[in-house]
Amino acid sequence: MREKIAAFFTSKYKLITVIIFCILLMIASLFTDRLATPLKAVVSTVVVPIQKGINYLGLITNDKYVSFEDNKKLREENENLKSRLDDLTEENNRLKQDTYELSRLRDLYQLDGMYDSYKKTAARIIGTNSDNWFTTFTVNKGSNDGIEKNMNVVAGQGLVGLVTEVGSNYCVVRSVIEDGSYVSGQLIDSGDKCIISGDIKLMDKGIIKCSGFNSSVEVKDGDKIVTSNISDKYLPGILIGYAKDVKMDSNNLTQSGYIVPVVDFAHLQEVLIITDKKKSGD
Amino acid sequence: MMKRKICEFLTVFLIYIIQITLGSKMEIGGIKPNLLLILPIVFGYLNGKNEGIYVGFIAGLLYDIQASSLLGFSSLVFSLAGYLSGIFYELFEQNNFFIPLIITFITDLLYETFSYVGNFMLHNRLDFLYFFERFIAPECIYTASCVIILFWPFRFLNKKFEKKERHEKRSESYVTRSPGSDS
Repeated sequence: MREKIAAFFTSKYKLITVIIFCILLMIASLFTDRLATPLKAVVSTVVVPIQKGINYLGLITNDKYVSFEDNKKLREENENLKSRLDDLTEENNRLKQDTYELSRLRDLYQLDGMYDSYKKTAARIIGTNSDNWFTTFTVNKGSNDGIEKNMNVVAGQGLVGLVTEVGSNYCVVRSVIEDGSYVSGQLIDSGDKCIISGDIKLMDKGIIKCSGFNSSVEVKDGDKIVTSNISDKYLPGILIGYAKDVKMDSNNLTQSGYIVPVVDFAHLQEVLIITDKKKSGD
Repeated sequence: MMKRKICEFLTVFLIYIIQITLGSKMEIGGIKPNLLLILPIVFGYLNGKNEGIYVGFIAGLLYDIQASSLLGFSSLVFSLAGYLSGIFYELFEQNNFFIPLIITFITDLLYETFSYVGNFMLHNRLDFLYFFERFIAPECIYTASCVIILFWPFRFLNKKFEKKERHEKRSESYVTRSPGSDS
C-alpha cells in the first residue's frame, strides 16, 4: 500500500513540475523568440539532413519506378522525337532571330522585363507543417545559401509566398493561401489596388479572397492580378492569379471577390526564392 | 532505466520524422493524423504515468519547436494525456487497445479545440461548427484509428523492454544481493 501511495505521489509531482515548466515556457515564448531560436537550431541541424535524405530516397525510388515502367515507351518516343528535333531546330533558328529583335525592341522601350531580372535560387520542399491548420512548408535552403527573412518565393509563373523563418540549412515559407496572410495586389493593366487575403475556408477550393477594389473599377473574370508596387514585403509585378466573381460590397463603396492562384499549391515540389529583397523605407 | 528512456526518445524522434516528412502523403481529404499525440497515450497505458509524462513532454516539445509559436503548449497537453492514460495502467488487459483509442480521441478533440481558440477564435473567426466539421472531427477520427495500427508495434517493443529489464534486474540482485532500489 505504501509503495502504491509513493508511486502515485512521485508521478503526481512529476506532472506538476512538467505543467509549471510548460506554463513558464508558454509565458516566456509570448514575450520573446530567444528561447525557441536555439532549440530550433539544434533540432533542425539533426532533422533537416534526415528530411533531405528521406526526400532524396523518395525521389530515387520514384525515378526507378518510372524508368522501369516507361522504358519501352521511351524508346518509341525517342524515335518520334528525333524526327521532330529537325523540325524544331529549324523553328528555333527562326525564333532566335525573333528574340534578338524582341530584346532590341525591349531595350528601346526600356521594358527589360522586371520579372526576369530578379535573381532567383531554386529550392526543394522537404517537409510540411505537422498540423492541419496551416500550410507552411520547409525548404532545403537556408542562411548558408544566402536566404533571408521576407524574401519572396515564386513557383513557375506565380507567387507562392514569403520566407518567414530562416535556419542555417532550411527556411520556412508561408504561402499566400494561408489564413492570416495578406498581400497587397493590383490589376496588371490599370493598376487598381486590392487586398488579397488567404482564408482557411476557401483553401479546399484552391482560391483566395480579394477585397477593397474601388467601386468605380471594372474587374472582369480572368483579369490578371499582380503584387502591387506599394507592398512593403512583396516585389512588384509578380503574378498572383486571376480574378473571379468580383462584386460590389453591400456598402456600395468597395468591391470584393476571389482570385484563382496560378500556382498549384497542392502539388508543389520545387520553388524559386527571389534573393532580391524589396527595399523598404526603414 | 536509462536505456529505456533513450529508446523511447528514439521512438518519438522516428515518429516525429515520419510526421513531418511523410505527413502530406498520409493526408485524407487534406487532414493529417496527429501521430505524436498517440505516443504518450500508448506508452502511458502500457507503462504507467511516469513514462506517459516523459514521452508526452518530449513529443510535445518537438511538436512545438517545429510547428507552433507558443512553446510549451503541446508538451503540456501531451504530458497531461500521458498522465491520463497512465491512470488506466494495469487496470485493463494490455492487449486491450480500446482504452488508448478513446483517450486519444478525447485528448485530440480538446487539443484541437484549444488550438482553434488560440489560432482562430481570438482572431474573430467564430464559425466553430465549420472548423469542427472540416478540421477537428476528421482529425480526431483519423488519429484515433491510427492507434489501432500503431498500438501493436509499440506493445511488441514494450514487451521486449520489459523482458530485458526483468532479466537485468534479476542478474543485478544476484550480484549485489539487494532488491532493486530505484523504481
